[in-house]
Amino acid sequence: MTTVTGMVIGEEEAPAAVAAGAPAGLAARTTGLRKVYGKTVAVDRVDLEVPVGAVLGMLGPNGSGKTTTIRMLLGLVTPTAGSVELLGHRLPDGAAWALPEVGALVEGPGFHPFLSGRENLTRCAAAEPRLATPDIPRAVGEALERVGLSAAAGRRYRGYSLGMKQRLGLAAALLLPRRLVVLDEPTNGLDPAGTREVRAVIADLHAAGTTVLVSSHLLAEVEATCTHVAVLHRGSVVAQGELRELLEAGGAGLLVSTPDVEVAVDALRDNRMPARSTPDGVHVDLTATTAPEVVATLVGAGVAVHEVRRQRTGLEDLFARLTEAETNEARLSDVEELHDEEAPQ
Amino acid sequence: MTTGTVGAAAMPAVLTTTRSRAPLGRLLRSEVRFMLRRPRTLVALGLLALVPVIAGVSISVAAGMPDQGAGPGGSAVEGIAALLEGNGLILPVFVLLLTLAMLLPLVGAMWAADAIAGEAATGGLRNLMLAPVSRARLLAVKAFGVATLCLLAVVVISVSAVLCGLVLLGGDGMLTMSGTTLPFWPSLGRVALLALLVTVQVWAVAAVALAISTWTDHPLVVLAAATGGIITFTVLNALESLSWLHPVLINASWESLGDIIRDPMPTDGLTEGLLRALCYILIGYSLALARMVSRDG
Repeated sequence: MTTVTGMVIGEEEAPAAVAAGAPAGLAARTTGLRKVYGKTVAVDRVDLEVPVGAVLGMLGPNGSGKTTTIRMLLGLVTPTAGSVELLGHRLPDGAAWALPEVGALVEGPGFHPFLSGRENLTRCAAAEPRLATPDIPRAVGEALERVGLSAAAGRRYRGYSLGMKQRLGLAAALLLPRRLVVLDEPTNGLDPAGTREVRAVIADLHAAGTTVLVSSHLLAEVEATCTHVAVLHRGSVVAQGELRELLEAGGAGLLVSTPDVEVAVDALRDNRMPARSTPDGVHVDLTATTAPEVVATLVGAGVAVHEVRRQRTGLEDLFARLTEAETNEARLSDVEELHDEEAPQ
Repeated sequence: MTTGTVGAAAMPAVLTTTRSRAPLGRLLRSEVRFMLRRPRTLVALGLLALVPVIAGVSISVAAGMPDQGAGPGGSAVEGIAALLEGNGLILPVFVLLLTLAMLLPLVGAMWAADAIAGEAATGGLRNLMLAPVSRARLLAVKAFGVATLCLLAVVVISVSAVLCGLVLLGGDGMLTMSGTTLPFWPSLGRVALLALLVTVQVWAVAAVALAISTWTDHPLVVLAAATGGIITFTVLNALESLSWLHPVLINASWESLGDIIRDPMPTDGLTEGLLRALCYILIGYSLALARMVSRDG
């Protein structure tokens, strides 16, 4: 028990965090991150900011560069260009100081089939710099308990279901208290109950002040657990910020139920309010106007208004808008390229 | 100082230190324990322990039935058997030289293949890199594990062969190739020396295999390369017209290991073989390190 100080002696001092350029409020930051594999640009110009204490959901379709970005963020892959700061330490030099405080589950759990869950976790624990040797069994036991694997801890990993494997990966990330936990598709292969448990674990971490970075292509999951969102598409960040702000900025609208659809649309358009008819009634864009003005205009025009409600853009709409717009643009530019040069990409 | 039960309710209450590296001894123990838990490691060690038993039994059977050796080549078997009869400590020498030709290098290559390429394929390597274990340290830990297992394999064969030799063939000393007879303890010393020299040769093969292992995620590639390499080197070494190439072939050292049962023991060939193996080890680990630091995790 007294070895703690003894072991610290003789260790090199931690290099001063590169606090000069880094705002104190960021747990991780990437600047101009780019990764090229051969001729494929996997990630390009990614400036990601993970605020301390946030639960940041990294969203993106398959192949949008989420995992590559995470792998660079954790120093597993060297970026072609750009820089990474993790917990105030610049990678790769600061990795030894940053990574002990980072728990990660990347690209699925990496365990050995012939060892039991507990043995696999003990092997991970042996490599954890911050874990004192006498405390390894307890840390392992508690991590197993936390992900609900205590009963299956003695069984071989070979016989684990996909969900149990994923949980064991999560347990490895939670072996000791972390400042940042990075989870790459944590609910892959989990049933609804398992998904809820992962959400509960993320909520626990958030409540304890841990910063969480979670990547997913499941929008509902992100919407339910995250405070911040970064949307990746084709290797670039197309939007990031607080989830609430993003959703509100995402074109708030007013939905008006009325039998006089045509009259309503005409009246609004005459007053320079963008409106269109929808199956449910009339949709009014609120970027340039306010709800009371819309209602006043409609009433003034003698339109029978049954119901007016604010339409909140869901994450799904936002995501679709961000990624599909890009895709359409990209398709258009592809077509142009087709006209310009012979060879399409 | 007791830092025992610190930690919030939401977090596991564990002892933490401010180290940036896990203790090296803990990593090495964990690696060796892990390798010994792998079923194919145990199977390989078990089979290697059987080789001396098979060799010992067949020789003692052949020696016990001289009438059977009437056919062509029979006299040769009879000759070896006659030499070994009552000369049990020759068996470990015979078995070690036999297994060094193919079995031991292959087993070493198998462990090297599993150590990096195999671990990369399962994702275990990523877990270690994230802990974090630095790339150079990771390679050192892996190299230590492979080297320890290679040593263990040679020890298993040697012990098994010494026991088989003494039980099946008997004898309390060693009849050398020079015609003299060594007493028991010096004979056992010769066997131990040979075991050590054989281990270094296996380490050399394993070092090169580990270098290949850092370049791929497929352990089979390493094993195929090692098998192909050993066969190619054996052929090259057998071609007299390529004698200018022989000094750089690792298995050129293996023939001179027979010097161990001469009396007095000539050391030139043994030393040269040792230095050649050390060169291979140096080159192998340098290549492995160069690749390891830039490898994607």
